Amino acid sequence: MPYSYLTGSDVARSLSPPSQDRVKQQSSLPNVVAMDLNKRLFHLDIENKPQAQPVNFSMVTTPPDDEDDDEVNHLKLKVESKQSPHEHDKPHPREKNMPDTDVQQSPAALGRIYRYTPIPSVILDPSLHVVEVSNSHVAFAGLSRELLLGRFICDVCPRILPAIDIAILFGALRAAITTQDVQSIDKICIDDASACYTLRITPIFENSNLLYIVLEALDISKRQIKSVSKSHGSYSNETYKVLLDTVKDYAIFMLDTHGHIVTWNTGAALLKGYSAKEIIGRHFSTFYSLEDRMADKPGKELEVCLREGKVEDEGWRYRKDGSRFWANVLITPMYALGRHIGFTKVTRDLTERNAAEARMIAAFEESSRLKTDFLANMSHEIRTPMNGMLLALTSLMATDMNEQQREYSSIIEDSTNVLLQVINDVLDYSKLSSGSFTLHPDTFSVDSITNAVVRNCKGALKPGVQLTSFIPPNFPSQVEGDPLRYRQVLQNLISNAVKFTEEGYVKINTTFSEDAEDPNVYNIRTEVADTGVGVPEDAIGSLFTPFTRFAESGSKRYQGTGLGLSICKSLAELMDGSVGYRPNPERKGSIFWVTAKMRRVSVTPPARTTGTPVEDVGDIERKIHDIAPHKHVLLVEDNLVNQMMMLKLLQNMGFARIDTAWDGAEAVRLVKQQPLSYNTILMDIGMPVLDGVQATRQIRQMELAMPIIALTGNVMPGDIEHYMKQGMSDHIGKPIHQKQLMRLLWKWMGT
Amino acid sequence: MAPTTTTKTVEEPPKETKEIPSTLAEMKGSIDESTFEQILEMDDDDSDRDFSKGIVFGFFDQAESTFVKMEDALRREDLSDLSSLGHYLKGSSATLGLTKVKDACEKIQHYGAGKDETGSTDEPEKKTSLSRIEKTLTQVKEDYKEVEAFLRKYYGEDEESA
Repeated sequence: MPYSYLTGSDVARSLSPPSQDRVKQQSSLPNVVAMDLNKRLFHLDIENKPQAQPVNFSMVTTPPDDEDDDEVNHLKLKVESKQSPHEHDKPHPREKNMPDTDVQQSPAALGRIYRYTPIPSVILDPSLHVVEVSNSHVAFAGLSRELLLGRFICDVCPRILPAIDIAILFGALRAAITTQDVQSIDKICIDDASACYTLRITPIFENSNLLYIVLEALDISKRQIKSVSKSHGSYSNETYKVLLDTVKDYAIFMLDTHGHIVTWNTGAALLKGYSAKEIIGRHFSTFYSLEDRMADKPGKELEVCLREGKVEDEGWRYRKDGSRFWANVLITPMYALGRHIGFTKVTRDLTERNAAEARMIAAFEESSRLKTDFLANMSHEIRTPMNGMLLALTSLMATDMNEQQREYSSIIEDSTNVLLQVINDVLDYSKLSSGSFTLHPDTFSVDSITNAVVRNCKGALKPGVQLTSFIPPNFPSQVEGDPLRYRQVLQNLISNAVKFTEEGYVKINTTFSEDAEDPNVYNIRTEVADTGVGVPEDAIGSLFTPFTRFAESGSKRYQGTGLGLSICKSLAELMDGSVGYRPNPERKGSIFWVTAKMRRVSVTPPARTTGTPVEDVGDIERKIHDIAPHKHVLLVEDNLVNQMMMLKLLQNMGFARIDTAWDGAEAVRLVKQQPLSYNTILMDIGMPVLDGVQATRQIRQMELAMPIIALTGNVMPGDIEHYMKQGMSDHIGKPIHQKQLMRLLWKWMGT
Repeated sequence: MAPTTTTKTVEEPPKETKEIPSTLAEMKGSIDESTFEQILEMDDDDSDRDFSKGIVFGFFDQAESTFVKMEDALRREDLSDLSSLGHYLKGSSATLGLTKVKDACEKIQHYGAGKDETGSTDEPEKKTSLSRIEKTLTQVKEDYKEVEAFLRKYYGEDEESA
C-alpha cells in the first residue's frame, strides 16, 4: 500500500481506549470530549459502511463518496454546545495580549514559538477550535490567519492542514487524545504528488487535562527522490497502458470497489470474447458459473482480497459464447491516495498449459512404459539362455571332474544363480512397475508357508543364531490369497534377516485381525525381528526405494540387487497391504513387517476334495471334453504301466497334447524348454534321478504357476502337507480313477 | 535192443489242481474290481481288448523282471534297491488294482527303507529286514502267479503260456 496514514494498531487503540484510563479520568473534560468524539466517530464510521464489515483499515478510512456535510455540522454543533467551563477560566489565546518582548517571563511569550515556527502549525484548543496558526502555515496554506482562528477544525478544508479528509483527521485526533501521545498521518501528497507531508498531531496535556493539540505539517518531499518519481510518473501511465494493451495472453482489467468492470485490455477481449464497450460497467461475476455466483464466490473473493492484500484462484470461467476455460485469476486491491479505489484482475487461460502438462505426462508415461517393457523383455530374453546354462552346468557337474574343474564349475554355478536372481528381480520389478503383475488367488495355509520359508532359510543361518517362528493357535488354518507372492515377500524379509544377523536371533511373529470393513477379510501381519546390523537412520527413508542398497555397499559381503525390498513393497501393496521398518527396540537390529489382506475361507476344503460334489459327473465330463483339446499336459511317470494307463485316461478325456517324462529331471528339462506351454503337470512322486517333489521345486523356482498335481501312492501322514509346501497344487492317490481325475483337472483347468 | 523204457524222472511241475477262476468277482481278494474294470472300460472295443491287454501283459514283463532284480538285490543285501523296486512295482500293481501284489510290494518298500511293514516304526536290524523281504518276496511271487494265471486265462492265452 503506497499510502498509509495510521497503522492498524493505532486504529485499534483509537477504537477502544484503555478502560482503566477512562475510569481514572472520568471527570476530566478532555476525556468527555474525547469520548464524545469517539461516539461521533464511531457513528461516522457506521454511516460510512452500511454493512457490518471486518475491521479493515482501508475501508475504515475511506469516506463516503458524498461527504456527509450534515453529519460534520452536527458534530460541530454538538462539540460547541459542550464547550467546557474551562473556556471561561482560561483566556482564549486570540484575545490574549501577547507582548513580543517578554520572552523569558510570560508563558504567552512562548506562544511565539508557534507563531514563528518554520513548520506549518495549527494549534487547537480542547474543543478542537483553532487557537493559533503559524506564519509558516499561513504561507503554506495561502489562507490568512484570521480565516482560520476560532474555527472548528472540521470546518476547515482538510487539504490546507494538510489532511486527506475529515475522517482520517478525526481518527488521528481521537487517537492522539485517548493515547495522550503523538500521532502521525503519513504521506499526504498535495496536488498531483508534487509535495508530500506528514501531519503530526501532538496533544498537550497538563496532568490529565487536555490543553492544546498541535498540528504540524512536516515536509517529507525532500526525502523522496523527486526526480526519479516525477520522471517515472510522467510516462509510466502511458507505458503501462501500452503494455497492458499489447498483452494478448492475459486478461488484465480493473474493477471498481464493488466489482464492476472499469477497464478492459486486448487480452481480456480475446480471452473472454467481450468487447470493451459490452463489458465495462458490468459486474465481474459475469465470468463465473451460475453455481459460483449462487455461492457468492466473486463477492467472497473480493472480501478475501481486501483482507489478505490479494487473492488467487483457479477454476472454470465462462466466455461470452458460453464456452468455458480453466483459468488462473489473481485479484489485487488498488489504493490511490490512501483510498480503496478498486481491484486489478489478471486472468490467465490455463487450458493450453494444462494440455501441455498432460502431453508431458503422457510422454513421460510412454517412455517409462517403454523402459519397463524393455527391461522385462531383456530380462526374459536373458533368463531363457541362463536357464539353459544352468542346466548344462548341472549336467557338467554330474560328470567326473577333477578338483580344480569342480571348483571352477561351482564358481560358475554360484555366479549364475546370483545372476538369475538379479534377472528375476528385475523382471518382477518391471512387471510390478508396469502394473502387469497379477495375483493368482488360491487357498493356502499361512502357517505352512511361513514354516516352509523358515525351513528354507535355515541353511543360511549363521552358527549360534536362533530362528524361531510364532503363530497363534487360533490363526485361520486356511485363507484365500496368492500363496506364491506372499511367500516371496516372506522369503525376502526372512532371508534378509538371516543374511544380516551374525549373532542373536531372528524371530518371526505372525498375527491376524479381522478387517474393520469386511468381516470376510483378514489382515495378516508378519513381523520379522532380528539382531543384525540394523538400518542406519539416514537410510531408513530410502529402504524401499528401488536399486538402493545401504548395507556395506563397498564390500562384497552382502550380495543383492537392491530390488528385494521394493519388490516386497509393491507385492504387499498388490495384496492390499504394506511393508515397513522400525528399529528393534530390544537391541541392535531391525524389525521388518508386512501386512496383506487375505479372504476368509468359509469351509475348510478337505484335501481330498477334487471338485464340487453337486456338479454332475456327466456335466464335468462334457466340460473337460470341451477344453481338453486346447490344453497341453505334461505327464511325469517313471512306471511304464502307469504311464500307459494315465495316457489312455487322458486321451479318453479328449486331451490331445500330452508330453511324457520318465523322471523329474526330464520333466524340468521339458518345462524349461517351453516354460509357458503346459497348462498342467501330473507328477509322480517317487522317481529315479529327480523325484517329483524336487522337480516341482525347481519348476516353481522358475516362477511358473501352472498347477502341478501329485500322483501319490500310499502316503504317510504329513506327506501331502510337505508336497504342498514344495509347490504342489493338489494331489490324487493311486490307483487313479477316471472320475476323480476328471474332477481334479476341471478344478484346475476349467474356468 | 531192449526197449528201454524211460520213466519220467524229471520232476514235472505239479499240475494246478485248483481250477483257475474265470470271473473277476472270484478274484475279489486279489484284484480290486472297480480299478480293473476301469482299465477294461478304456478299451475302445469290448471284443478287441488291445489297450488293457497291452497294459496287463506289460505289467507281466515288468513284474517278472522286477522279481529277478529283487532276488539279485537280496543276494547283494542292498536294502535301498529293494525298497525302490518295491515302490516301483507297487505303483503299477496299484494301477491295475492287483491289491495283493501291491500290498506285498509296499511291505518290501518299507522293509527296504529299514522300517516295519507299515512304514511307521524303524527297524534297526538289517538282517531282520532282509529276512522279512525274503519271506514277502516268496509270498508276492505266489500271489502274482495267481493273478497272472487268472489274467492270462481272462485274455484267452492260458494255453500258450511258456
